[in-house]
Amino acid sequence: MTPFLNLQFGERIVTLLAALVLVLQIAMVSQRWIVINIRIFAAQSFFLAMIAATIAWFNHAPHIFAAAALTLVVKVILVPILFERLVERMEIHEEIEPIVNVPLSVVIAGGLTLVGYVVAASFYRPDAPGLGHNALAVAISLFLIGFFTMINRRKALTQVLALLSLENGLFLAAISLTYGMPLIVELGILFDVLVAAMVMGILVYRIRETFESIDVSRLRRLRG
Amino acid sequence: MNEQMITRLIENATQLFLLLALAPLVTGVIRTLKARLQTRRGPSIFQPYRDLLKLFRKGMVIPETASWIFAATPWVVFFSTILAGLMIPMVAAVAPFGLLGDALAVIYLLGLGRFFLALSGLDTGSSFGGLGSSREMTISALAEPAMMLAIFTVAIGAGSTGLTEIAGVAIGQNWRFLAPAQMFAFAALALVLIAETGRIPVDNPATHLELTMIHEAMILEYSGPYLALVEWAASIKQLVLMTLLINCFWPVGLQTAWSGFGALQGIGWLLAKLLFLSCAIVLIETANAKLRLFRVPELLAVAFTLGSLALVSTFLF
Amino acid sequence: MLLVALLLVPLATAAASFFARRRAAMEALNLAGFAAVFLAAVALAAQVLANGTVSLGNGFFYADALSALVILLTVSVALVCSAYSIGYLRDDQQSGALGEDASGIEQIAQLRMYYTLTPLFVFSMLLMAVANNLGVMWAAMEATTLASIFLVTFYGKITSLEAAWKYAIIGGVGLSMALFGTLVTYYAGHSLAGSDSLSGLNWSVLAQHAAALDKMSMRLAFVLILLGYGTKAGLAPMHTWKPDAYSEAPVPSAALLSTALLNCALYCLIRFYILASRCLGAEYPSRLLLLFGLLSMGVAVPFVLAQRNFRRMLAYSTIDHAGIMVIALGLGGALGSLGLMLHMAFHTIAKSLLFLSAGNVYQHFRTDLFSKIKGSVIRAMPLTGVVLFIAMLAIVGMPPFSLFQSEFLILRAAFEGGHILTGALFVLFSTGVFTGALMHVSGMVLGPGGDAAVAARRPWRDGSLLALASVLVVIGFWLPAPLLELIRAAARVVSGQ
Repeated sequence: MTPFLNLQFGERIVTLLAALVLVLQIAMVSQRWIVINIRIFAAQSFFLAMIAATIAWFNHAPHIFAAAALTLVVKVILVPILFERLVERMEIHEEIEPIVNVPLSVVIAGGLTLVGYVVAASFYRPDAPGLGHNALAVAISLFLIGFFTMINRRKALTQVLALLSLENGLFLAAISLTYGMPLIVELGILFDVLVAAMVMGILVYRIRETFESIDVSRLRRLRG
Repeated sequence: MNEQMITRLIENATQLFLLLALAPLVTGVIRTLKARLQTRRGPSIFQPYRDLLKLFRKGMVIPETASWIFAATPWVVFFSTILAGLMIPMVAAVAPFGLLGDALAVIYLLGLGRFFLALSGLDTGSSFGGLGSSREMTISALAEPAMMLAIFTVAIGAGSTGLTEIAGVAIGQNWRFLAPAQMFAFAALALVLIAETGRIPVDNPATHLELTMIHEAMILEYSGPYLALVEWAASIKQLVLMTLLINCFWPVGLQTAWSGFGALQGIGWLLAKLLFLSCAIVLIETANAKLRLFRVPELLAVAFTLGSLALVSTFLF
Repeated sequence: MLLVALLLVPLATAAASFFARRRAAMEALNLAGFAAVFLAAVALAAQVLANGTVSLGNGFFYADALSALVILLTVSVALVCSAYSIGYLRDDQQSGALGEDASGIEQIAQLRMYYTLTPLFVFSMLLMAVANNLGVMWAAMEATTLASIFLVTFYGKITSLEAAWKYAIIGGVGLSMALFGTLVTYYAGHSLAGSDSLSGLNWSVLAQHAAALDKMSMRLAFVLILLGYGTKAGLAPMHTWKPDAYSEAPVPSAALLSTALLNCALYCLIRFYILASRCLGAEYPSRLLLLFGLLSMGVAVPFVLAQRNFRRMLAYSTIDHAGIMVIALGLGGALGSLGLMLHMAFHTIAKSLLFLSAGNVYQHFRTDLFSKIKGSVIRAMPLTGVVLFIAMLAIVGMPPFSLFQSEFLILRAAFEGGHILTGALFVLFSTGVFTGALMHVSGMVLGPGGDAAVAARRPWRDGSLLALASVLVVIGFWLPAPLLELIRAAARVVSGQ
């Protein structure tokens, strides 16, 4: 059990998981199939829950375990199931060419990761608990890349997924900066995420019904 | 002095033998495993040896329009790949020709072989050859920078681009692999491995439709011993890249120096790790469909981004 | 007690409306519920005036003069709108705006959605105003977005969906930034909280120890909060959802969105501004606020001048006023804060009046375009025409209406504080909006016009219009003393003494 209690080991695990989360986010930028995007999001949330659990273990903070469990239930199970059912009903499986083509958007995502690292460096205090510094950089990168993906993509459902991955980044930032926010706040936020996913899902479905497509570049009737 | 020279000769010979002998075996294992996964029986894992033997015995047909490049290429490719193979650590962290060349030399030697292959594809005057050459060059233009960035990442970690040092530094610390820079570099190199060895999702090595070929199209006009040399070189290149990937990032079981029993251990570990990597490649090949050609840059852009992230991470941590 | 009642009554109203079967039941429940909440809000205001602050649950719920004022304004608008919506939705049902082929049952279902979501919407706004915990405040704000999305899609047209989608996405991104800002604020105060992590996000605790917060983090936090909650308030350049949402939502909902929700977004901004200015000094936050405020005012001018659609013009006017209020917040000091609070109160009344009149006009003429309504309003609907014109004069800041007084106060604050450029730009942009709005509305109300039929009597709608209009006229001259005292107390909270 000794390695499991070693703080350095915990730091390595958290760093590894954070790197995986980042890779998944970049994969979401380049991915074309909507169902795979949903699964990437589920995997990303799973790793996030694992990061939360690791930090909770090493800092003896039980309320983070609760946050991790909630994340697991809401973001890994409920929201992906919701969206996969939606995709089945809408019968739209593939994303069309984004506004900036894929190779360039992947490189831009890499650039945004660097920006995230630079911003996170200003938060780095050598005296503060070291666990989670890399995680903060990844969190900010997740936020920026999610934002970019939202602007770049044309299908409504992918935009919603990007928004949710943006919130994932915020969750990770919360965990790494302050070991999570008070539990009731986490509860409220997760509940909001769930309801937001449902609401957006319904909205996307209705857009599909009305427009015969969920290409948001078609939503151009209201101007001025 | 004498003893040292003899030991060195034995080491070099062993590595050379391993390169020549293992390469077709790896190809065969991958092919058979893929067949089994697709619930076919598949050929025997020694089939590539038989193919090579058969090809060496056959006569050759050479196009009339071919120049000296066509004849020279198989030799250039073969020997450059072998030379590159001798520069990487396979059994022990010390590479036989380690003092002669480092990671950059390996990359460039492999690039030299590819260059000549592309030229020979154009040389034959058939349109398929030109098609294959241009496709191969497109892919390598994107894959090489990614590979270099990944190699530089590990090189920075080791303080030198010599593969001996890189592998040596990694030996002692098993958890080094968990650092994000190493992870990103590993991911980038894995993607490049798939692109360079022409595996699905980049290229289908078993295709017989000329319009979908990349590597096969370049060597379409080769026959007999020339084809044997080219095919052998291709499988050696695959072995070289796989070994590079394994030994730079996961040098479990890599010996620090050649010694009698240690060498056997090293060979054993190498075989085990190669088998593991082959299984991974087979899984990737079976689970994916071949990408359309203009989607390949997207995959390689991901590799490039991962590589640059890896490089930058070494400075940020 | 009072705070609990304030929160529970809208929830109960929503639940009861959800299970109601007949339209009359839903209408009555809503009206009664909002009347009860209004009484509770007045009682709360009285208690706050007497005791300074009201808190519950060990500081989890916290209401000071600022909260009480915002709650009172929200609930007043909600009450008037619920009276108005009775007539408005009945007209929609008759005219077939709820869907030409919809059966009676489907129409009732749509009405049920409206009558359930509106109390929920109001509930989340009330929760936001009484929550001490900044995280709960954020969650309540997100809940307002979620509740109002389906209010925007009420009519189910293609354009409604587009408006709702823009609202959802832009609002979602904005709120994510606000969440990030809240998180960074929590981090800034992390070392203060000590053992009880819940109080680390409590505004009252943070405000007390604001000077000890980490400065670098608060800088970043304030920018994020401004971008985030500013999106909900409709500050430029995050304003693009407003015109669409306001023109597509049913009129009472649009009135609530443009007054109550705007006030709540500003409330959040004010809370964070207090923290930031106590931590960093007033210069950095106020400079940012002035920038965004002037930008909003500036963006509104061309879109008001060149506007063709009445409700979209109202949306740009709201953006303009959000800019004004943010400028007032940025100017700070006793004058600026007083101007801000007065403007908030007056704008609420005038803007909701404008939207309700716009609803009358739309339902009679079936169009929002100026070119089609030209000049017929005063002939077809004299009451609405007069009220519309008066409200328009009020909203552009014409004396003797109340908004003139608040804008004048803000200008005084600007010039006295040395912000000459700000004051000059303020006057310039106000003039632009004044010109555009007056030009369009007077063309619509007065002017030659065609001959439209005189509208039938509408008790609910005209009644609520009249009530609100009389309030508007009266407060131009006289403010009841308790209300003035509440506004002054709220201004004191903002200016920090």
